[in-house]
Amino acid sequence: MTLFRTLAIAGALAAGLATAAPAEIRIGVVIPDSGPSSLFGPASRNVAQMAAEDINANGGINGEPVKLFFADVGVPPAQSAQAAVRLWRGEEIHGFAGMHNSAVREALIGQFRGKVPFVYSGVYEGGECAPGTWLTATTPAQQLAPVIPWLVEREKVGRWYLIGNDYNWPRDTNDAARDIIAETGGEIVGEEYVPLGSQDFDASLQRIQASGADAVFITLVGGDSVAFNIGFGAFGLDKQAIRFGTLIEENTLAGIGAAGANRLYSSLGYFANIETDKAKAFATRYADTFGADASALNALSQSVYDGIMLLAALGNAAGSMEVEAIAAVADGTAYESPRGEPVLKGTHADQTIYLADGTGAEFKVVAHFDNVAHGVTCD
Amino acid sequence: MDQLLLILLNAAWQIAALALLALGLAIVFGLLRILNMAHGEFVMLGAYAHVIAGQLGLPPLTALPICILVVGLVALLIERVVVRHFYSRMFDSLLATWALSILMREIVEMIWGRAYRNVPMPVEGLVQLGGVSYPGYRLIVIFLVIAGFACLWLWYRKSLTGVRIRAVVNNPSLARASGINTSRFSAAAFVTGCVLAGLSGLLLAPMLGVEPSMGLDALIRSFFALVVGGLGTLEGLGIGVAVVGGVQAGLSAALSQTAGYLGVLVLAILFLWRRPDGLYRRR
Repeated sequence: MTLFRTLAIAGALAAGLATAAPAEIRIGVVIPDSGPSSLFGPASRNVAQMAAEDINANGGINGEPVKLFFADVGVPPAQSAQAAVRLWRGEEIHGFAGMHNSAVREALIGQFRGKVPFVYSGVYEGGECAPGTWLTATTPAQQLAPVIPWLVEREKVGRWYLIGNDYNWPRDTNDAARDIIAETGGEIVGEEYVPLGSQDFDASLQRIQASGADAVFITLVGGDSVAFNIGFGAFGLDKQAIRFGTLIEENTLAGIGAAGANRLYSSLGYFANIETDKAKAFATRYADTFGADASALNALSQSVYDGIMLLAALGNAAGSMEVEAIAAVADGTAYESPRGEPVLKGTHADQTIYLADGTGAEFKVVAHFDNVAHGVTCD
Repeated sequence: MDQLLLILLNAAWQIAALALLALGLAIVFGLLRILNMAHGEFVMLGAYAHVIAGQLGLPPLTALPICILVVGLVALLIERVVVRHFYSRMFDSLLATWALSILMREIVEMIWGRAYRNVPMPVEGLVQLGGVSYPGYRLIVIFLVIAGFACLWLWYRKSLTGVRIRAVVNNPSLARASGINTSRFSAAAFVTGCVLAGLSGLLLAPMLGVEPSMGLDALIRSFFALVVGGLGTLEGLGIGVAVVGGVQAGLSAALSQTAGYLGVLVLAILFLWRRPDGLYRRR
């Protein structure tokens, strides 16, 4: 009897182990739950769940349902890479998607080495060509090329002052801006970079005033952008010049406040109050699912939805989650997004860019540009 | 000429803001020999008084009593529960208050989240001074700081309480023997220093925006000012904030912000190395 029972249990265990082999596609979502960007973590998680629901409602990936696993990449790059690798090995992840800073992205790619498909989303400086990596992230070319000529035409500006934090995203973005400004016949009357974490912009504001600039292009981030724009408004410089930035999202604008936001433009792939049917349906569903008090959407957190949808679209197009199979069919893959109708061209997505006016501390989309080319060439 | 006036006004603003930020730290260190690493978090807590007033639907000016009440109660609680065990243990107190600073930041994050919040300028508009238009609110703050410091100095030098404070600082056992309640004195000094930190956050919030980690910058810059000026006297504090604020504003205007920060860092290192007592020595 005892022997029989032991055998029965062993048999049941063996059967259990056999069926535990994943009959599902396991997606690793790499988003910040700690550190300065953790503000965007909760909303990123929420939209990741929405993406999983949508994928599973449409037959999953190659007929198999997807399941999400999360790793915190708000920690320094080396630790982030460790967390992702632990997830990859420990949970047998089939593909990664997520939004984080570029230093973390590079650390992750260094570990993935093209052996697992990875989709990077958000806003970044362009130029990523690593194998096995696809990007829904918007590039400087996308956020600038259609927008600067539009602003020049609408606001009749031509004397640009560039100010940004001192690291690669602002510098690379300004490289792109300089060419486009020159094409519109404008000139650069000043350019400066300040250390991350700056709170005192008096000297910069004085230089801007003295330069006679009529347009200021801002690549400051977070609290630096908040302090700069509050000062800009307090000194009444909004009467002298328009401002335009490529990473001023809803949270930054809330910090800046109405007195500092007069004639402050922002171009991004997503704003929480885009007026298209698709975007409105997305925002409504988000509010219905997670409540009116849920962490607000912006271009960074919402991008995680796009990243996961692209990963699923790639898996379905290739009929597999192998990097080689995906790479063979990736070009031209379309994916679902509240932003519009994005399509992969090479490894980056051509997509819609929105330009919003932040006057009154509330974004109003004043123009949108469809199918904007990402401008990244990889050979 | 106008450019020079603007640079001078900006320097005055920098110095006033720094004096405001550093005063609380200087009081707590000068009177209690506690290097309060949670100083910046009291600045931050003071700034959140605007947020509390907004959430309760109260008029903006009520942020002032809310600030004094909230920061004062938190400081009193912390002094009674934690800090009083660390008097005359400088290094231990540094670690303890550092832990407190993390705790306070996390609690504020739990209550209000990490999002940036804007505080509208209580006084909007620009004031015309010669050829320069300067934000009116800044001029008011500069005036308040000058007036406040003058009163404080007079009070400290002339009043009986000022005499008692100097007695306790210079010779605690003798002060105790002559009937001064040093325990109550210590609590009062700690709470006063923290409330002043909170008030500086309250006054500066409209220029900076409010968020949980805003205190770190306040702590570092206040610390530099104390290092340069000399720890523990009002005169030293005045000299320290003038030198640090002036160097930062001057180098930023002449070269770049990076040069301004670098100048302050070099200054702080030089002073810690060559003149740890600062410019203004106590007898």
